[in-house]
Amino acid sequence: MTRIWIAGLCAVALFPLTAGTGVQQPKPQVPPQKTQVEVELETKKGGRLGLAIAPPALAGLGEDLVAKDFKAPLNRDLEEAGPFALITGVVPGSTDAASYPAWARLATDWLLASKVEKGAGDEVSVEIQVVDVKAGKPVFSKRYIGRDSQLRRIAHTISDDLVARLTGEKGVASTRVIFVRQTAPGVKEIFQVDRDGAGLLQLTRWGSLTLSPTVAPDGRLAYITYKGGTPEIWGERKRGQAHSKLYPTTVSPQGHCYSPIWSPDGKRIAFVQGDRRGNSDIMILDVDSGRVKRLTDGGCINTEPSWNPNGTQVAFTSDREGGPQVYLMEEDGSNVRRLTFEGNYNASASWSPNGAMVAYVSRFEGKFDLFVHKLGEGKAYQITTGIFSSEGPAWSPDERRLVFASTRSGNMQLWTTDLSGKSLSKLTELTGCQSPRWTRSR
Amino acid sequence: MALAAGLACKKPEEAPVAPPTPPPVTTTTTDAGPTQTKPADTTSTVSTVNIAEMQRAASLVLKDINFDFNLSDIREADKPKLQAIADFMRKYPTSKVLVEGHCDERGTVEYNLSLGERRATAAQRYLVGLGVSESRVNTISYGKEKPKVLGSNDESWFVNRRGEFKLQ
Repeated sequence: MTRIWIAGLCAVALFPLTAGTGVQQPKPQVPPQKTQVEVELETKKGGRLGLAIAPPALAGLGEDLVAKDFKAPLNRDLEEAGPFALITGVVPGSTDAASYPAWARLATDWLLASKVEKGAGDEVSVEIQVVDVKAGKPVFSKRYIGRDSQLRRIAHTISDDLVARLTGEKGVASTRVIFVRQTAPGVKEIFQVDRDGAGLLQLTRWGSLTLSPTVAPDGRLAYITYKGGTPEIWGERKRGQAHSKLYPTTVSPQGHCYSPIWSPDGKRIAFVQGDRRGNSDIMILDVDSGRVKRLTDGGCINTEPSWNPNGTQVAFTSDREGGPQVYLMEEDGSNVRRLTFEGNYNASASWSPNGAMVAYVSRFEGKFDLFVHKLGEGKAYQITTGIFSSEGPAWSPDERRLVFASTRSGNMQLWTTDLSGKSLSKLTELTGCQSPRWTRSR
Repeated sequence: MALAAGLACKKPEEAPVAPPTPPPVTTTTTDAGPTQTKPADTTSTVSTVNIAEMQRAASLVLKDINFDFNLSDIREADKPKLQAIADFMRKYPTSKVLVEGHCDERGTVEYNLSLGERRATAAQRYLVGLGVSESRVNTISYGKEKPKVLGSNDESWFVNRRGEFKLQ
């Protein structure tokens, strides 16, 4: 299984695709005299696939609208996707077959032509055709239909489809990030934003402290809210239904609840419950039956559960040996083993979507940095550096990036980084943000 | 490699905090109390008559206590404050107090919620050790979600690592 998370590897994935379409590798006749420019262009691509995006043909829609809501997001999505090197600059004015050699000289592998057309009412259709200009063969074509207000969404979907065509796994341009934001002193609510920072949506309006969102595989939201005076688990029992209390299920106090997280099958919620001695334990709630089982047993703090992708294990934070450290255990609470040994404050474990890595934070000199522990290697890698704090990491669905909250711009804001820690970008300009979760299902 | 056996929670169960001088639980000491003929069985009278007075008295004794970084031990300096709260609660037998556990900004969101639980419970148990009934002291944790002061320095962090007491 090839996980493509280093951009340089992506070229490898291209060959099976090319072979699969029955296209012969073009045989260079006489060794073409590659110009200096061509060599430089190829080097700049760094093993990525050269993708040229021709200006969209328009029918019935304004150039400004299409530039803002289609061209710009599509360019940005494909640029940030990783496996593509966008071909820019002076490009041929045509996309017909006769122009392919001219595109190829610009280090283009794939040429994307599109037609954005106004339909009846507020409907728009976007038709795209992608050709391999060196082989002269079509690679991908599809028609997308939506409302004109959904042009941006269509651009994200096209980007995800092209990444899937190239790598076999969908891109993440159409994903969303759920997070907590302070709306007034002492009041926090759950919000949602598109992966490109657009489309901000407020998901709760309890007017009280609301924390720790989690999203089930089918998009159901759950979280902690203090709206009733004490922290309880609330959320969607059915997708799209009004939010209701998920736990505690009885009126008698069952201890305060924190840190809910949906199991990968969307049937259970791991969470944390305080006891009368001030300790915290990891529990699992079967949402339909309301039954609860305890995984850890008293005497210390056990918190921040995170499931592995098949729901058989849980990573968590515990101070059972002194300071907070990350541990793993089976979902019945057995086989507890410690994962982190460096440093005296390691926490916020987040198990990667494919199960091979655990991201967490480590505190050093008064601030947190992100680390990724590769389970196969038994080694941890530091992702963020510098004087700012980076907290609460969550994985992108394709495992290529982490979203986290950081003070690097002064106030707590949401950022994303690749696993090298070199490609950081701010997700939104909103301040006072925390606890991001990255999902495909909303 | 650490063995699972070594990973059981090592912390001793927080031994019920034994206050140095457990005060008498009865109300036979009358030096500060209101002059009553029946010292113990006048709760309804006291509550209806003296709500305003109780609130005034509460505002004088319900002072924040503070904690050291990542700890939940009651500091020596704060023990007199808790004693004053216990005295107040004995004087006003209908009073109920909520202890809020708070943390500074330097831990993770979720871990601090648990740490705040531990701090609130430490204060609650100390009061219970002073003779206050557990049912009269509720706890809640706000972790680092409700700082008292803003600022990233030792002074602000100290102020924010606190137990806050609210009359219920």
